[in-house]
Amino acid sequence: MTNPATLHRAQNVRNRRIQNGTIVSFTTVRHPPEGFGTQPYTIGLIALEDGTRVMGRLLSAEPASIAIGMHVAPKMRLIAVNKEGLRRYDVAYEILSDVPAKEEFRGYIIALTGPSGVGKTTVSLVLSTRAGEFVERVPILTTREAKEGDADEYTYVTAEAFADLEKAGEIVAVTHIPSASEKRSYGYRAKDIEKIWSKGKIPVVITEMHLLQGLASHFGRRSILSFGLLPPGKSKRQMLSSLLHRLRSRGRDTEPEIEDRMRNAKEDLTFFEERQELFDHIIVNDHLETVFEHLKGHVLKYAEEPAQ
Amino acid sequence: MSLRDLMAEAIAKAIDDAGCTALDIDTVIVGNMLGERLSGQAHLGALAASLLPHRPPALRAEAACASGSVAVHTACALLESGRAETVLVIGAEKMTDATNEVVAAGLMGAADADLDSPSGLTFPGIFGLITARYMHEWGLTREQLNLVSAKHHANAVLNPFAQFRTAIPAEKIGQSPLVADPLRLLDCSPVSDGAAAIILSTKTKSDVRLAASSLATDAVSITERPTITSFPASREAAERAYADAGLRPSDISVVELHDCFSIAALISLEDMGFASPGEGISLYSQEPDIAVNGTGGLKACGHPVAATGVKQIGDVCKQLRTGKKRYGLAQNFGGACATCCVHILEHA
Repeated sequence: MTNPATLHRAQNVRNRRIQNGTIVSFTTVRHPPEGFGTQPYTIGLIALEDGTRVMGRLLSAEPASIAIGMHVAPKMRLIAVNKEGLRRYDVAYEILSDVPAKEEFRGYIIALTGPSGVGKTTVSLVLSTRAGEFVERVPILTTREAKEGDADEYTYVTAEAFADLEKAGEIVAVTHIPSASEKRSYGYRAKDIEKIWSKGKIPVVITEMHLLQGLASHFGRRSILSFGLLPPGKSKRQMLSSLLHRLRSRGRDTEPEIEDRMRNAKEDLTFFEERQELFDHIIVNDHLETVFEHLKGHVLKYAEEPAQ
Repeated sequence: MSLRDLMAEAIAKAIDDAGCTALDIDTVIVGNMLGERLSGQAHLGALAASLLPHRPPALRAEAACASGSVAVHTACALLESGRAETVLVIGAEKMTDATNEVVAAGLMGAADADLDSPSGLTFPGIFGLITARYMHEWGLTREQLNLVSAKHHANAVLNPFAQFRTAIPAEKIGQSPLVADPLRLLDCSPVSDGAAAIILSTKTKSDVRLAASSLATDAVSITERPTITSFPASREAAERAYADAGLRPSDISVVELHDCFSIAALISLEDMGFASPGEGISLYSQEPDIAVNGTGGLKACGHPVAATGVKQIGDVCKQLRTGKKRYGLAQNFGGACATCCVHILEHA
């Protein structure tokens, strides 16, 4: 389908496919279907870094040199022109190397993802205190001001320092959250995570969609033990109302800040629905002890598995 | 011949063969995938019913290449519930009026329009991906794969209903033009016209009965599956059919399976328990204990999409009668096995 409406919808999901990946299989289509011209082209089934699989054109001068397992990088490419002359661009993939690279695995990272107010910080605190010999929290780099009620989870830096670190490639996962008053940035440094690995522990990070995707694409989806935390409630509305209740009762944020957080929380809940493949386990945070026991079970399982 | 002509001929032959008359038929179910796209014809239930003197109630079933067997499965549900007593099931497809590009685009309707089609993939392309991966995982060679279509062509020589009644030596398969690497022209089932009809009844006696009819589904897009060298829908449908009939794979003597592409025959044999994973080719390199696609399969018999699933059941029935065997199995799937329907037949 190449009408403007379907092309527009396709554009909305296109950005997710802009990731490096590995060739699972490939074929050269010698007889294109209607609307795809008459010249043969090569299509790959690609496993992207976040674990999703997609179909995409492979850009290579010589199809005979392509092999399963090769690494590829995304590139925009003209795919088809419809009858009205509307040009359709899609993500194609360029072969990165002729040598199939080995998938590097350096260790596990526990990622807790969930909307603001769901209790990510509390869960991570409980986990690091009560299973401290196995896990350690990774400090979050942030440009926002320190506030009363903050736990010791943040490392505060200026916006300039943050931008410099990001440019230098030290920050491997980053998210910028625009609020009414200022733009706040949060990020994780690779060296903080590596330091925890060197102690033989599993790093615990608190993430949202951008941070989670950043970590998955830097360390590989396989490294991330991804837990989604949901507030109790049978419907989205009930979940949002229990979040609002928690945000108000913890008294850390002003009313306009809470409004901001609720807006983001709505997006986060949608993200849970749309990107299920990014989560290994979904946990409803209705009772802290149950959540802790559940997480501890997983931690012990992976703590015994040695890093390669 | 038009879609209507094809159906009329199949219906007349089925009624001739059956132990009942046209007027006993109380329901008609038509399996068809591409009527609108290739013939400008929808509303096939009523069209088929109008070919009978008394115009019984009628409906159409669609599940891509599994439309035929899903029509049979639907008939079983009506018969078991008591809603119907004698059902005429027709599978029909008219494909040769359209150009190859239009047929290729139409068949892509069986894949995922959001996830598969935008890349410019075709069905040979999807099975090209599956074949390349299978060869990578199991070390299957081009020479081994040649044996599959060669065997199916040899089986079709004596079948008067086959589209290609010619034997083709194995080495010729590997020399045919590439369609979607590593698949070549003679790995692919052809574009065909055809119709098949069977009559199922709970009140008329027959020497052959359906012992099981089971249906299973999977993700339509192969991008949403963890593996592409095995089809879980096939495994599930077969396992449930064996359980319903109280049988094991070793009890089956005759198999008609869905070889839309040569690789699909190997994967299906493995998924249904006739070979271990990666060893499906052993049923082609050695003489097997069971008859596999004894009529020529989709490759040599032709693959008029929705007719195939009905035709397979008719063919298993004929082979059980002529070979005096007890149990036979028909496996028909749609897309890259996103729908799979398995029927087991018992000959008294």
